[in-house]
Amino acid sequence: MKRMKFSGVSFILHTFMILVIIVCLFPVLWMCVISIKTVGERVSGFAALTVLHPTLSNFGRLFELIPIWSNLYNSLFTTILGTLTTLFFCALAGFAFAKYRFPGRNALFYFVIATMMISAEAGAIPLFIIMRRLHLINSLWSLIIPRIATAVGIFYLRQYILDVPDEMIEASRIDGCSDFGIFWRIVVPIIKPALASWASITAIVRWNDFFWPLLFLNKNDKYTLMVSVSMLPVSDGLATPWSVILAGTTMVIIPSILFYLGMQLFQRSGSLAGAVKG
Amino acid sequence: MFKTLKKYRIPYLFISPFFVLFLVFQLIPIIWTTFISFTEWKGLGSPVWVGLDNYRLMTQDYMVADAFWNTLLYWIAGIIGILLFALMIALCLNSSRLKFHKFFKTASFLPYVCASVAMGLIFGMLFDENAGLINEIIITFGGDRVPWLTSSAFSKIPVIILFNWRITPWFTIIILSGLLNISREYYEAATVDGANIVQQFFYITVPLLRNIMFFCMLTITVDTWKMFNESYILPGPGSSNTSLFQLIYQSAFKTFKLGYASALSVILILILLVISIVQFAIRRRQGEV
Amino acid sequence: MKKVLFVALMVVLLAMPMFAQGAGETKTTGSDTYPDGTILVWSTGQPQFREMYYDAWIERHRDIAPGVNVDSETISTMAAGQQKLSMYALSGDYDSMPEVIMLDTVGIVELSSAGLLQDVTDYYTPLADQFVDGAASDATVNGRVYGLPDAVRPQLLFYNAAIFEKYGVDPAMMDTFEGYYEAGKLLKERSNGKVYLSYIDPANYTWRYYGRRGLMPQANAKIWDDQGNIVIGSDPGTKLALGYLDKLNQAGLLYKTRMFQQPLYEATDDGTIATFYIGAFWDEFLRKNLTATVGDWRAMNAPVFEEIGTRGAPVSTSFCLVDTKSNEYTELFKMLWYDFQTDTEARNAWVTDMEKLNGPYSNPVSKKILADPFWQAPSDFYGGQSFRKAEGDGLANSSKNMMVTASDAEADSIISAEIEKYVAGEQTMDQAIANMDKELKLKIKKAKLP
Repeated sequence: MKRMKFSGVSFILHTFMILVIIVCLFPVLWMCVISIKTVGERVSGFAALTVLHPTLSNFGRLFELIPIWSNLYNSLFTTILGTLTTLFFCALAGFAFAKYRFPGRNALFYFVIATMMISAEAGAIPLFIIMRRLHLINSLWSLIIPRIATAVGIFYLRQYILDVPDEMIEASRIDGCSDFGIFWRIVVPIIKPALASWASITAIVRWNDFFWPLLFLNKNDKYTLMVSVSMLPVSDGLATPWSVILAGTTMVIIPSILFYLGMQLFQRSGSLAGAVKG
Repeated sequence: MFKTLKKYRIPYLFISPFFVLFLVFQLIPIIWTTFISFTEWKGLGSPVWVGLDNYRLMTQDYMVADAFWNTLLYWIAGIIGILLFALMIALCLNSSRLKFHKFFKTASFLPYVCASVAMGLIFGMLFDENAGLINEIIITFGGDRVPWLTSSAFSKIPVIILFNWRITPWFTIIILSGLLNISREYYEAATVDGANIVQQFFYITVPLLRNIMFFCMLTITVDTWKMFNESYILPGPGSSNTSLFQLIYQSAFKTFKLGYASALSVILILILLVISIVQFAIRRRQGEV
Repeated sequence: MKKVLFVALMVVLLAMPMFAQGAGETKTTGSDTYPDGTILVWSTGQPQFREMYYDAWIERHRDIAPGVNVDSETISTMAAGQQKLSMYALSGDYDSMPEVIMLDTVGIVELSSAGLLQDVTDYYTPLADQFVDGAASDATVNGRVYGLPDAVRPQLLFYNAAIFEKYGVDPAMMDTFEGYYEAGKLLKERSNGKVYLSYIDPANYTWRYYGRRGLMPQANAKIWDDQGNIVIGSDPGTKLALGYLDKLNQAGLLYKTRMFQQPLYEATDDGTIATFYIGAFWDEFLRKNLTATVGDWRAMNAPVFEEIGTRGAPVSTSFCLVDTKSNEYTELFKMLWYDFQTDTEARNAWVTDMEKLNGPYSNPVSKKILADPFWQAPSDFYGGQSFRKAEGDGLANSSKNMMVTASDAEADSIISAEIEKYVAGEQTMDQAIANMDKELKLKIKKAKLP
């Protein structure tokens, strides 16, 4: 009797999770299916789900509609450089907050946390003018510089650096290590797992970034892939076929999924679990 | 003063990038926005001082009212929907009875990885009134076509679904990390005392997750009040599903009413400020209990 | 090893933009040729087809422009292009501005008053006689010309002749709007509700096309009076125009779907949609996107309101030279424009190619080319009817376009929001008109006259 009840719970559990997975994956699978249909094949209703003549020609069409190579380069450049700089400066600030005692430390740290409640977007108009004065409109740096050090990143990495034993830091200081040396040679190697999981999250967020590139970049060949894809519906003289639009979305979604799965394989253990410590 | 700075120059140097960037790219813009909000300005030429005109117009503008109520709805739907689903999924993932644990965990995180803009285009097609798959399914089950994105009543739903669909996994992971931090010993002790699963949930899990839930609520609050991508890419009739921040963007960079847009930005900042003060106040009270 | 890879990656990433810049630098050659570089043209529709003509022309003129090429970028609508250009001006980025932008009246009024367009009066006026009457009148603001006319296109009515034959409805009855409505009812009845007269867009295209370009001018409707006061709420023309749209919609004759999107074309190929009103531009979209109904289509003049009596208002589009400060290619583009408008042989050859490729083209504005028999030739897509002749005929007895002020871009977004709520079925057309009036008075007060 008891056994029956337990398998009942486990049945509900698995059914629920399978439903969740279907909901999670279906839109993406639907996209992939349509993206390999020939233009002219029906895309409405259930007819969308059968592929009669799979083709990659939609992807070819994409290359004619948008400057994919420069867009891809722009996306990669901002994603990679944005992630690396953020990682470095957040870890550095997190290190200072975690391992140094200095006047105003707690107040400043609470201030950092409090800024999470303000959205930079609210100042978008003057920010646009500031960027113009700095000659950063249409420059990829406009996407990287403002977010070199973020509050969330500092908060998250500080939590990890707190766990680095003080003795190790003291020992290397006695050995004559400089402050930066301690950070670079002692702290960074220890918090590598945290850096890796934070890096994968940041990279995904940067890759998916839409508002700031939309605001700061104004030229087709300066766009990131995301902005170009968002404009696909009107790119082909207002009449881009659905299959071509979805080929475009596939081009932005699949790489980030592969990247994420790769990171999952890479970090065998819990990965993001423990991202925020209670 | 100078001496302190010199003595502690290294930690100050290490944390300075954040503060410099905050000053230049957040604080100054926000103060500047406040100034622009009292002017009329098309972007070219110099701003003309108009006092409170922009704020006065705002109270009469139904689009602002629409945007405010929409965003409020997105916020509430976000808090309830995301936290509920994230908690349920996290509890399942944390259950020792779940098989293929790693697969479920990885797959259920995928929506967060997908770009909201790209997913918006996809949801727009799925929710299309005449050609969308969702309506086709509804018809198969004997229902009528739902004007998802073509009526004010329904147009908010795809936006909410898209937003919640994409964001939930992120909070699932955060809640899951909280659950993993709860020692199994509590549950074992409770089982020995004869508490069932429901009791265990309410007397052990809920109190110990309070911090995490609070953190999630704060994050969802900021995320929903500055929502842009989802409603921008899934427009409904008129301003029926416009978010507040989207209205700011449109007033600023489509019709170039920078003064008006700035006034709206000021309101957005104030709203966020009030909400966070209230949330912290409530929490402090709970903390004392 | 890892470190080396990492450093190499960073170096490549950092160096690439420099190379990209270095390659784009202009080198000056002889003084009587144009400097190397690109003429960037922003245009709606499918500018890649027009580019084919430009490229061929540039090839023929390598003596004066050895290193110049013409590049086209698509703007989704002229309003979007106009906003984008204003953004550039706002960001002070004159280097990124296109040399040329395609605009309609709203854009020309807005951007010329912002000082972003070059005045071409002195160049165009002596040439005006060669072109159809009033070709540049929509590009003229306070007596100054700000655009070189590209096309003056009529409002036509496209209909699927096979559907009309099948259900025994005579297309000739669509000569008036009353008849157009009756035809729609007959088709609906006789097909048991399958056939819709036309479509209606749930978003902003309904105002843009049915409203501003189509029914409003044909009904002699006004948003503003001559002083810029808001009159839309009490204007009989607005009531006639939008009331008629309401009548079609109430009778269930309009299939609700997004304009220009694939489901619209799928429904059209299925025989669900019988006619397309407003805009000769439908020609290129129908030819490009329809497969099952090729040869069934015909074009006729737009219906008239009997009480007004004029046909559709022509849409003139112009290529406007943007004031980019350097303006180094201004003269070259003028030559290119002039050639496209007056070189009969080259133009006809290009149009022949366009027909083969299902590309867009429109009737020329030059009287000389129009006189060529080529422009009376039959078209396969229209079952042997000459589309080019129909386009020319469509210009007869046309309505006057609505007055455009510098406030019209903002007015469009306000009015469109009310129409969208009407299409969604949330307010009646009378309420929509009343709300437009109210909102315009609240937010614009009085239109800024150019």
